[in-house]
Amino acid sequence: MNDPVSGIALAVVIVGLALSTFITRTSFLIAGAKLRLSHRVEVALRYAPECTLAAIIVPDVLMHPPGQQLDLSVFNPRLIGALAAGAWLCWSRNILGCLALGMGAYSLARLYL
Amino acid sequence: MISGVAMVKGGLGVPWAMMMSLLVYAGSAQLAALPLIVAGAPLWVIVATGLITNLRFVIYSAALRPHFADRPLGQRAALGYFMTDFTFTRFMRSVQEDSLPRENRDAWFAGVCSNNWITWQLSAFSGIIGASYVPTDWGLEFTGTLALVALVGPSLNAVPAVVGAATAAVVALIAHPMPFKLGLFCGAIAGIAAATLADAWQQRVPPAHVEDT
Repeated sequence: MNDPVSGIALAVVIVGLALSTFITRTSFLIAGAKLRLSHRVEVALRYAPECTLAAIIVPDVLMHPPGQQLDLSVFNPRLIGALAAGAWLCWSRNILGCLALGMGAYSLARLYL
Repeated sequence: MISGVAMVKGGLGVPWAMMMSLLVYAGSAQLAALPLIVAGAPLWVIVATGLITNLRFVIYSAALRPHFADRPLGQRAALGYFMTDFTFTRFMRSVQEDSLPRENRDAWFAGVCSNNWITWQLSAFSGIIGASYVPTDWGLEFTGTLALVALVGPSLNAVPAVVGAATAAVVALIAHPMPFKLGLFCGAIAGIAAATLADAWQQRVPPAHVEDT
């Protein structure tokens, strides 16, 4: 296994991410009344998180082995785990249950398929 | 807690994971940035990803502004930085129900936020420390991805969100071979464009609701 990521580069990344939190959360509170959001921009900002997360999750789940090629078969344990987690979310909002079921399905698929 | 587990199992050293939790304090941005950090993506790609994941807070801060407009700059900045999805939602609900006296709003919000901060950090730290004792081959790093699924799932309750997420996913898959994880950006931007179009289309469908002012 590779070593845990660390060093100056990681410190810089952490500070950069902390700034991204600070800038977005304080933006309008600091800017005062001068700035206004147009409807278009507000709509785009509202859907940005879902789109970004989908763009992260889907390749992460479907590329198997990770980062290599598309695998839509039942032999992809990440796909099994993600489908189980998604199915759980359709009838319950409980996040711990979702994670438990997803990890359970993922582990079983990894061990037995 | 999940973000703590995922950070350590993703390959971050324990002190680094703690520092990230304390400073960044944004679960979704941390989980989104994590695979990029582990893959060694360039700094600007990682920070830009955190930024897009945090964009919803721009709307929150715009919504909070009228309530704290008379407060000094430092206080506004602090209230903003320590805001989360949860504290924002609770604050707006209390304001709507009119259960908050006007002059104590900042104190109430600061209280909710500090409570939330302490709880969040304690559970993140227990995740970080707990996960460092679990063998890597249990595959616990997958909890990070599943936590993102749990974050996105409930918000896919409107047509534009579904259209945007689906577009983002397809484009990200097609663009996956691009270097520096740039496929992620192509996906996110295509998704945002698709969601905006779908939203505009949805607004136009029922003509009875057109109330332009």
